[in-house]
Amino acid sequence: MIDTLRSEWIKFRTVPMNVVLLGIGAGLPFLITLLTTLLIDADDMDGQDVLELAVGSSLITAMLLGVIAVAGVAGEFGFGTIRPTFAATPRRMRVVGAKVVLSVGVAAVVQFVLIAVCFAIGSALITSRGGSAGWADTSGSREPIVGIVLFAAIVSLIGVGIGLLVRSTPGAVAILILWPLIAEGLIATLLFVARLDTVAEFLPFQAGNRLWFFDDGSLGEDVVLGRWTGGLVFLVAGAVVVWLGALVTSKRDA
Amino acid sequence: MISVRGLSKRFGAKYAVADLSFDVAPGRVTGFLGPNGSGKSTTMRCMLGLDRPDAGGATFDGVPYGQLDRPLHQVGALLDAGYVHPGRTGRNHLRWLAASNGLPVSRVDECLAVVGLAQVAAKRVRTYSLGMKQRLGLAGVLLGDPHTVILDEPANGLDPEGIRWIRDVLVHLAGQGKTVLVSSHLLSEMALMANSLVVIGKGQLIEQCTVDDFVGRYGDHWVRVRSPRVRTLVEALTAGGASVSPIDDVTVDVRGPTAAQVGELAARYQVTLHELSTQTGSLEDAFLKATAGVQEYSAEVLR
Repeated sequence: MIDTLRSEWIKFRTVPMNVVLLGIGAGLPFLITLLTTLLIDADDMDGQDVLELAVGSSLITAMLLGVIAVAGVAGEFGFGTIRPTFAATPRRMRVVGAKVVLSVGVAAVVQFVLIAVCFAIGSALITSRGGSAGWADTSGSREPIVGIVLFAAIVSLIGVGIGLLVRSTPGAVAILILWPLIAEGLIATLLFVARLDTVAEFLPFQAGNRLWFFDDGSLGEDVVLGRWTGGLVFLVAGAVVVWLGALVTSKRDA
Repeated sequence: MISVRGLSKRFGAKYAVADLSFDVAPGRVTGFLGPNGSGKSTTMRCMLGLDRPDAGGATFDGVPYGQLDRPLHQVGALLDAGYVHPGRTGRNHLRWLAASNGLPVSRVDECLAVVGLAQVAAKRVRTYSLGMKQRLGLAGVLLGDPHTVILDEPANGLDPEGIRWIRDVLVHLAGQGKTVLVSSHLLSEMALMANSLVVIGKGQLIEQCTVDDFVGRYGDHWVRVRSPRVRTLVEALTAGGASVSPIDDVTVDVRGPTAAQVGELAARYQVTLHELSTQTGSLEDAFLKATAGVQEYSAEVLR
């Protein structure tokens, strides 16, 4: 398994598009944090605001990390490199496992480091401009940091699963992006009209979004899923997609 | 030693490979021949566990490919030189391949040097010609110094120097006692490097034998005679039922009698011979004869 992981890590690092996507994914939230904390009135932001800005703007990072996970799998089928991959490692589940570990691990680490850097630099800029922003301001709401890291990891998990199922990078990326942006919204609206709001909460990304939500009481009292139960639903959805992908991969021709 | 037993693979209702069995012995180059669509590539993919066979399978020294631990140490395969990410460098392509089987980076550099790509190892594969990709693929085959080598159309895209080089490599590997199975449409090349043949058509075995036996069985044979008194000899030959085709004023090709029989006839009529030789048809002719009727796609002659 270590050999397979090492091999997948080399693959990950040596595709230029991954580096570009990582740059965009990490650069955008960083830029947003930088510009906001530079241009806003320093007295209007404290550490809590900087953290919310960092977490909120890094959603795009989580989705782009998911895109990288998709491309890391579907791209192998598209370019045909899955054949030398399975010829070198005939135990296909070992390859799938390594891709899951790598994608989830990279997503979690990148997301955590990005949040930490954005928060540190944003707070430093606010403070340097005469405001007050520090880690102590966030004492009541640090759970979304863990939440967004888990969110990114599970999006990548789903990305691996969709890649295994669809085997086409454009198709798989479209599903990963359009499902939460459009499909879930439409389904949720229909469920809302049918007075099935509770069911809508269990839609994967609706549930997963609870992970990074800053609780300001706006969710209301009728909400069934909390941060961690929502995260669990999201994780189960990701695990099911990957399991289906692995099942198909073990049976289909490469 | 590769053993394929009862291999069958179906795509929809159509069998690409049907109950195919053959052996590939070590220490020789075995050519894997068949018309387009005969199931060669499907067979090779099934042997490597890339396609899931509907029945049967292959073993390498008695072990199915899927059960090999670090298979690159035992079997090196190149099915398509295009199976590379165009954005990676040639060296990085080999690096991930080597890492997957616990091979050191130094082995990557050794193999790049062997195939003559050391100078362009840092260039992205999208800048490689087809011939360079074939060389890169062959470097991947050599990484683990395997005792079995499987190549599907390795000469595709290679220039004459490259074709000769790959022939020399395969003959050298077979000379080291390795098992070499190679498919190719370049039958003249196959005639130069292969010792044995496995010929299939429509997914079924047509013949497994040595190249000489194959050509002997399916190839055309005739006697070439050159003589200043060839007309006298032709009259005697045709009277005896032989088929004679004139080549020029003093040379004919004779079908029917053996060279010895032609020689004795010439002696009887006191005809001086300047040439008396047995001619054998090419591997290509033998192949076309053996696979007549099992062509998946046959074209008409342009008029």
